[in-house]
Amino acid sequence: MDIILKTRLKSQNLKKLGRGTLNNIVWLILILCIVIFSSTIDGYFNIRNYINILSNSAFIGILAIAESYCLISGNLDLSVESVAGYSAIFSAWLAGGTLYSSSGLNMNPYITLCLCLIIGIVVGFINSYLILKFKISAFLVTLSTYIIIKGLAIALTGGAGVSMLPDSFRLVDTIRFFNISLITIIMIVIYVIFYFILKNTQFGAHIFIIGGNINAAYNFGINVKSVIYKVFILSGLLSALTGWLMTARANGASPTMASGFLFEVLAAVVLGGVSLQGGVGSLTGVFAGVLLLSSIRSALNIMAISPFITEVIRGSLVLFAIIIDSVKRLFK
Amino acid sequence: MKDLLLKVEGISKSFGSVRALNNVSFEIFQNEVVGLVGDNGAGKSTLIKILSGNFPPDKGKIYLSGLKINFKNPIDARKMGIETVYQDLSLCSNLDSISNLFIGREIVKSFMRLKILQKRKMEKKTAEVMKKIDINIPSLKERVEFLSGGQRQSIALGRFVAWGQNLALLDEPVAALGVRETRKVLELILKIKKEKKLSMIVISHNLQHVFEVVDRIIVLRHGSIVGIRNKSSTGPDEIVSLITGAIKIKK
Repeated sequence: MDIILKTRLKSQNLKKLGRGTLNNIVWLILILCIVIFSSTIDGYFNIRNYINILSNSAFIGILAIAESYCLISGNLDLSVESVAGYSAIFSAWLAGGTLYSSSGLNMNPYITLCLCLIIGIVVGFINSYLILKFKISAFLVTLSTYIIIKGLAIALTGGAGVSMLPDSFRLVDTIRFFNISLITIIMIVIYVIFYFILKNTQFGAHIFIIGGNINAAYNFGINVKSVIYKVFILSGLLSALTGWLMTARANGASPTMASGFLFEVLAAVVLGGVSLQGGVGSLTGVFAGVLLLSSIRSALNIMAISPFITEVIRGSLVLFAIIIDSVKRLFK
Repeated sequence: MKDLLLKVEGISKSFGSVRALNNVSFEIFQNEVVGLVGDNGAGKSTLIKILSGNFPPDKGKIYLSGLKINFKNPIDARKMGIETVYQDLSLCSNLDSISNLFIGREIVKSFMRLKILQKRKMEKKTAEVMKKIDINIPSLKERVEFLSGGQRQSIALGRFVAWGQNLALLDEPVAALGVRETRKVLELILKIKKEKKLSMIVISHNLQHVFEVVDRIIVLRHGSIVGIRNKSSTGPDEIVSLITGAIKIKK
């Protein structure tokens, strides 16, 4: 009897350990990658390179927060990429003065930021309205808005880019503390805030409940609609902010600036341990996922490896993450 | 004589041309466990859903402690102290016991319009509830998907222990459980009755279980009540014949 109990306890502890390892595996891989890259690649072990990795994570990083909220609530937002892209070209178009492909309005950059954020809110509202009102899957709704907004971005300037914006637009990139740009700091602050909201507020708890068992949420009187609206509006807001920051860093924009971000965001989020089935995930893991992708990208850059191989490696990583996700279930 | 808790008077409900409930009347007294039995499609679930506020009856009245009630949604019912334990338990397997106990009732403190969870208070209350019903869950912060069926059921019942003031509606509480866990949950039902002085309506297909925990049995057939029996004055045979219609009732 005693032996049975002991072995049972032991196997339970082992399972717990296994689960714990799998839940934090992204951090392990991240540390492993950085150690290996730093010791084998010339020029990788360098504080400026690390700062670069961090600052190159900013855009994917903010979009990954938006996507995590949507996925944890059991939804999916494909439109994050095109909202960011539209916001980028729209703000550049408004702020551009004499350039031929811009509006000629010469608008203050911070007013363009407000307008972009409003657009983000509107898109988030439309997405969630369609999902809730017509009970269409989030995948189909946001796929449509993704394509529509992408089209609108190209139509705005007829496909042309806008460059050479006033210096005031670039302040968020040019203001630096210890060589770390304000954009990077904004990303970190947003991570802290959204981590807190998800983990410690009633709204965050309701996101997990809705993603876990939506019927339970209805049965216990949670206002499911209001939570879904908020999640998508936040997603739109963060995406629009990302686009504006991209314009600020590049000192200009092209209509296809955020192309390919969606895939990268989903990769980072899945690597970070957010379940595609909803209800599971944490922003610390997502942050590690973002950093992991960024550090790999940096390694490939330094080694001057062909970008086509880069795609192969990134794709394999996502596959790996999905396999980990299902292996977790074996440890029940 | 015990005090009257719930009085249901002439309730009818139709879905299109299907008459799910036909002029159903009964009473539930305080600190009483009543079994609700009947074949599939007899109207048990419809009745439970009306009492838990999922939809209103077409006709009829419901009184709780003498007050006429009119539930618009499950939240109204819960506010009146009627707690439903659903067949699927309404648990989130992705969350821990604490979050599951508090779904929709999180203890919060407002700070700059943000509702901050009071996690420590919630954990303390969960531990209290689990102690009250004598259920040992190794770690309250473990996701409930890793718990046994009986432990999951006790969390669902724990909600009733924590917040129910009047009546619990238990829809097939032991349907998905093993033998030992079934025993544990049946004991739990008796314990709640004895210590919390609450009333319960138990739906179950298993008459043996019903006879173990209830005081009275209400039998539904084709949407009508065909018999209300005290446990002491009846046996499984009579109940089975009522359910199947072998005993014809006089109109």
